[in-house]
Amino acid sequence: MKTFKKGLTLKVVLFIVFTDILETFVQFCFKKSTLTQSGFDVRAFSDIFSFLGGVMSSWFLWGAFLLVLLEFIIWATLLSKIDLSVAVPAASLSYVFVPIVSIIFLHEKITLLRWSGIFFILMGVIFVSMSSKEKQEHLE
Amino acid sequence: MKQGLPVILSLIVFTSLCDTINQVFLKSAINTLSLSSPVTVKKIIRFIVELIKVPRVWGSFFFSILSLSVWLVVLSKADLNFAFSLDSMVYVFIAYASQHILKEKVCFKRWSGTILVIMGIILVTLS
Repeated sequence: MKTFKKGLTLKVVLFIVFTDILETFVQFCFKKSTLTQSGFDVRAFSDIFSFLGGVMSSWFLWGAFLLVLLEFIIWATLLSKIDLSVAVPAASLSYVFVPIVSIIFLHEKITLLRWSGIFFILMGVIFVSMSSKEKQEHLE
Repeated sequence: MKQGLPVILSLIVFTSLCDTINQVFLKSAINTLSLSSPVTVKKIIRFIVELIKVPRVWGSFFFSILSLSVWLVVLSKADLNFAFSLDSMVYVFIAYASQHILKEKVCFKRWSGTILVIMGIILVTLS
């Protein structure tokens, strides 16, 4: 597969999927770090600091920060290869991965309405990536 | 929703705009650099180091933090599914800004794909 400056190659798609998976784990880690403070209740302003202190002592939070850094590096590299108007809709695949991770790790249930939403997102991403390929052929 | 709806709405529009500015700044900074193929880890490191030297990237970070802060305020005031559905207007802003500021060619197929993604997100957040 030849690499074009703005084309959406298989490798690029795989990296977008990878950033989405990273984003999913970032959200998972953030949620886990706040769950360590489950008995939290805001009564005074100083409570916010004790909450943040508690969250910061969680390894999940630091893991999330590390993942955010990695995600920025990959995202910047991706944007050097593809259009922003392709990358952003394609990154909405995290709406597909978050529910799947929720089923597996958090044992949540997915409704039919949500599955149909997931289907629409997938169709949209396919359309957007096809538009990129069309332009690539046009350039040739 | 106890707080005034217009306030929440304008805050959501504001976060979406901040997100759009963040991405457009980042992309336009990246457009000034080039990353030649084949991409290696060494090249990526050099690319990132060059990238963070571009002042616009720091503008991008600023808007990203601003957006996150306002988003947290929105989440504390509004229903999550309502906020998330409306936040998907960022896709329209991004497509429009890409077309007019970054001069990307956003054709009919790309617009319809973007609209499908927005519809999907609304369905996901409503469920």
